Amino acid sequence: MTGSVRHRLADALRHVGGTVGAGVPLTHAAPPVTAPFAGASYVEEQRISAIDVGGPAPPPPTVAFLDGIQRYAVEGRIGLVPVVRGYVAAALLVRDAGGLRPADVAAEEFLVVSLARLGPAERQAITEVGPPVVDCSASERAHPILDVQLAARVVERRRERVETELAARHLRASPRGWLVVDGSISDLGALLDDGPRVLGLIKSHETQFLDGIDLETALTLPEGCRTSVFARSAGRRAAVYTWYLRLWPWEEQELFHGLVRVERPAVSEAVGDATGVSRWLLGERAPLAAADARWDRLLYPVQQVETFLRAQAGGWW
Amino acid sequence: MTSSNGAIVGRVVATESLPAGPHEFHFWTALETPIGIGAIVRVTAGAARAVYAVVVDGRAYSDLPSALHDVVASQGDPAGGRGPTHRTEVRLWRAAVLRHEPEEPIQPVPLADVMLATQRDVEAALRMDAYIGGELPRGVPVGVYRAGGLTAAVALDADFLLGPESAHLNISGVSGLATKTSAVEFLLASIFQRLPQRQGSVAAVCFNVKGPDLDFLDQPGDLTDADRELYRVLGIEPRPFNRVRYFAPFKPDGVNLNTLRSHPDLAGSVQPLVWGLREVLGYHEVLLNRDDLDAKADGFLDFLADRVLDKDFRDEWGGTHRVQSFADLERLFRAIFDGLEQAGRADVWRTHHIATIRKVRNRLLNISTRCKGLVTDDGSVSDLPFGAFEDRAVYVIDVAGMDQVAQDLVFTRIVTMLREHLERRDLGVDHLVVFVDELNKYAPGDGPDTYVRKMLLDISERGRYLGLVLFAAQQFRSQVHRRVVGNAGTVLFGRMDMDELATPGYQVLSPATKIKLATLPKGELMVRHPHFTQPVFVRFPRPPVLSGPEGVKRFPPAVDVPFEDAVVRQLAALDRRIAATQVRDAIAGRRDDDVRRALLATRRARPEDPLGYFRAALGPAVARERLAPTAPSAAPLRPVDDPYAP
Repeated sequence: MTGSVRHRLADALRHVGGTVGAGVPLTHAAPPVTAPFAGASYVEEQRISAIDVGGPAPPPPTVAFLDGIQRYAVEGRIGLVPVVRGYVAAALLVRDAGGLRPADVAAEEFLVVSLARLGPAERQAITEVGPPVVDCSASERAHPILDVQLAARVVERRRERVETELAARHLRASPRGWLVVDGSISDLGALLDDGPRVLGLIKSHETQFLDGIDLETALTLPEGCRTSVFARSAGRRAAVYTWYLRLWPWEEQELFHGLVRVERPAVSEAVGDATGVSRWLLGERAPLAAADARWDRLLYPVQQVETFLRAQAGGWW
Repeated sequence: MTSSNGAIVGRVVATESLPAGPHEFHFWTALETPIGIGAIVRVTAGAARAVYAVVVDGRAYSDLPSALHDVVASQGDPAGGRGPTHRTEVRLWRAAVLRHEPEEPIQPVPLADVMLATQRDVEAALRMDAYIGGELPRGVPVGVYRAGGLTAAVALDADFLLGPESAHLNISGVSGLATKTSAVEFLLASIFQRLPQRQGSVAAVCFNVKGPDLDFLDQPGDLTDADRELYRVLGIEPRPFNRVRYFAPFKPDGVNLNTLRSHPDLAGSVQPLVWGLREVLGYHEVLLNRDDLDAKADGFLDFLADRVLDKDFRDEWGGTHRVQSFADLERLFRAIFDGLEQAGRADVWRTHHIATIRKVRNRLLNISTRCKGLVTDDGSVSDLPFGAFEDRAVYVIDVAGMDQVAQDLVFTRIVTMLREHLERRDLGVDHLVVFVDELNKYAPGDGPDTYVRKMLLDISERGRYLGLVLFAAQQFRSQVHRRVVGNAGTVLFGRMDMDELATPGYQVLSPATKIKLATLPKGELMVRHPHFTQPVFVRFPRPPVLSGPEGVKRFPPAVDVPFEDAVVRQLAALDRRIAATQVRDAIAGRRDDDVRRALLATRRARPEDPLGYFRAALGPAVARERLAPTAPSAAPLRPVDDPYAP
C-alpha cells in the first residue's frame, strides 16, 4: 500500500506542477541552521533568471585546487576543562595536462585548552607537552559540550587560516592563474584584490540569499543552467559575486542535488566570465567523484585534494 | 655493464589483506616506470639488510568504485565524458623474493624503498657472486638481463650445468619461435669458450633430427651489431665452432650420404656412419618390437651374442663359422637349417626350437633392409672416434633422413657407447654434452616403455656422475616423461603455447609471467637454474654459426647421382686433384659392394693419397671368367596338340 501512496502522491505532485523527489526515509530532524538567511543584490540582471550555459567546455589549461581538513580529539580533561588535540592541513594541487600534482602543503598540530580555567602548574604541564597551545576562551560557567564545541571552532579557524596562507602564497606566485577553493572565498578578504580568478565552490546551501521567485528560480534550475550573477551581502567579509549552477538534474532527487553556488571576487570580469566558468565547471562532472556521497556537487580534483590530505594525515590520532 | 641503475622507483606497500611476506611482496611505482615483468629490484632497509626480488605480476587500477560510475560520468557515451582531470591510478607490482641479505633470519620484506637492480645487485640476487668471481670462477654466460637501461650478463654455474652438483638442460618452446636450437648452439659456444680448463675437457654430440638444423656449425653466421654487442657484454667471441665432425649414414644406394650437408664444398667433411652386425646385435631391443621378443627369442639372441659373434663357432655338421656380418650370419642360419634337415631332426637345435631360430633369423636379417645405408651386410664399419674424442669438439650425427627405427638405433648405440667409455674414463673428454631435439618423441610421458626412453631416464638420473650431460629440447614439456625433465638442473623456456602453459606443470608461474612467455620474442628465454630461486628472463645473441635454412641456401645440397658419379664425387671431395676418369678406370668391372667397401675404408682413413689408398683397398682386379654356353641338359618340350596355341 505504501508504494501505491507514493505513486499517487507523485502523480498529484506532477498534476499541480510540482517535482517528484527521491523520497529518502529519514529518522531524525536535520541539525539547526545557524544562519538561514542573508541579503543579496542583483548584479547581472535586475532579477534572478535561469540561463542555459550551452553545455560543457574545456577548462583553462592550468587550474589550482585548494582544500583543507581538520581533526580534533578530546584527549582528556583537567577538572571539567577539556584538553583538545587538533590537526589541520591544507593542500593546493595544480592540474597540468590532466594530471594533478601537489604544489603546496601545510599542516600543523596543536593543543586547544581554556588556559584561564587552569592553574599555573596545569598550564605549565600542558605547555611542556610540545605542540603549540592555543587558548580557547570559554564562558565562566562550565559546560562539557559547549566547551568542546568552542574548541572545535578554534580548530576550524586554524584550518581556515592555513588555507588562507596557502591561497596567499599561490596568488603571490600566480596572480592571474585560476584558483578553485572548496567553500566560500569571502573569508579570503584582501587577497581577492590580487586574485580576480579565484573561484569558490559551495556545496551546502544553509544560508539563503534570495527570496521568493528568485529563490525558487535558483533552487529549481534545470541541469546545465546557471542563475544570473548577484552579490551576496558582505558584512565584515569581502564582497563577492555569486551564482547558482546545476551540474546534474535534480528531478527524482533532492532539491539541492547537483546544485553548487559559485563565488568570484566582485570584479566586473566575473560577470562576463560567468557563463564560460559555468561551462568548464560542467565539464568537471567527469571524472565523477564517485567515492564520495557528495559526488553530485563535489569536483573530482577537489576530492583528490581531500584524498591527498587524508593520506598525508595517515593515522593521525 | 652498459649502464647502472639503483634509483628509487617504488615503495613497498603492505596492508592486512596484502601483507608483505618473506617470499613475496607488493610495491607501487609511478605510472611511467622502467619496471616490467621480469625486472629485478632491490629493497634496502638500512645498511645491513637488502632483499632482491623479481617482478612477477603487475596491476593497475584507479579510484573508480565501479564501472557504473564511469558510465554516469560519461552520460552513457563512451566517446564523451573524458573529463579534464586524469583519474588517480596506481601501478601495483608483485615481486617474488630471490634473496635476502643476510640470509638469516628470514623475515618479511621491509616496507622500504624499491630500487632497480644494478649490475652488482643482479649478481647478488641470482647468487652469481658465488661462482663468477673469486679465484676459481666457473660461470657460463647464458644471456643478458635487461631492464631500466641496465644490461647485465647472467651466467650459469658450470658445476650445476655440467655436473657434478647437478646437470642437464631442458628447453621448451613452440617450433620456429622459441629459438631452441639457436639457444643450445649459443650455449655450447659459451661453454666451449668460458668453461675453465681446470673444470676439465668437454665435447658435444648433437643429433640432428630434422632438416639441416645442425649441419653448418662450422660456418660463420650473419650477426647484427646488436648481437656483437651482446657477445661483448657476455665475454664470448662470436666465432663458429672450429672442431666439428659430421657423421651421416648412406642412403639405401650405399654411396650417396643421407644428409643435407652434401654440397661439394662441404661433403668431404662428412664421415659415413656405417655399422655391421657386431654394432647392431647388442641393441636388438631397439629394433625388435615387444611381440618379437619373447623369452625364447631373447635366449637365442643371447646365445648368438655370447657364443657365436666374433668367435670360431663349430656346428654339429663339421662346419666352422666366424660370424662378423649379416652375410656370415645368413650362412650360419643356412647351415643350421640344412644340417637339421639332413639329420632328420627338424624341430630343435641346441635347445632352441627351429621356429624360434627362424623367427630370429627373419627379424635380424630384416634389420639390414630396414636400416639400409646405416647397416651393411658385409660388416664394414665407420663409427664415431670413441676413445679419441677431442676437447671443445662437436660431433654432429645427422639422422634427419632416417626412419624412426634407424634413428632409435643410432641414438641408443651412440649414447650407450658414450656412457660405457665415460664409465671407463677413456672417451677422451671429461664432460660430454648430448643434445637431443624432439625429446617428446624419444621420452614421451605416456605410451610404451621403450628402450630409448629407459636409456634417457638413465642418463638424466645418473649421467651427471659420469660427465654425461643431456641437453634436450621439445615443444611440449608436459608431454615428456616427468623424471627426464625433472632431473634437468637448468631449464630454459622460449615462447610457449598458451595451451601448454595451462597444463599443471606451469601452475607456479604467475598469469603475467605466462603471458610474457606466450609472447616472448625470438632470442629471449626464461631461465630456471638451481641458484636462481625464481625464473629470470634473459636475451641471448644469435648463435655464431650459419643456421640450417641459411646454410642450405648458401650451400645447396647436391642431388643424388648414379653410383659411379657418386664415387667420383666422394673421392674428389677428399682430394680435388682426382679426376673422374681415374676413378672410373679404377672401378671399371668391379662389384658395387667391393667399391663401397673400398670407398668407406678410404673415407675412414682419410689418407694423404686418397686415390692410391682407394685402389689398394679395392685390391687387384680379378678378371671375370666367362663361361661358354652349354647345351641344355633338359630335352625340349614335346609339342602338344593344342588348338588354341598361337
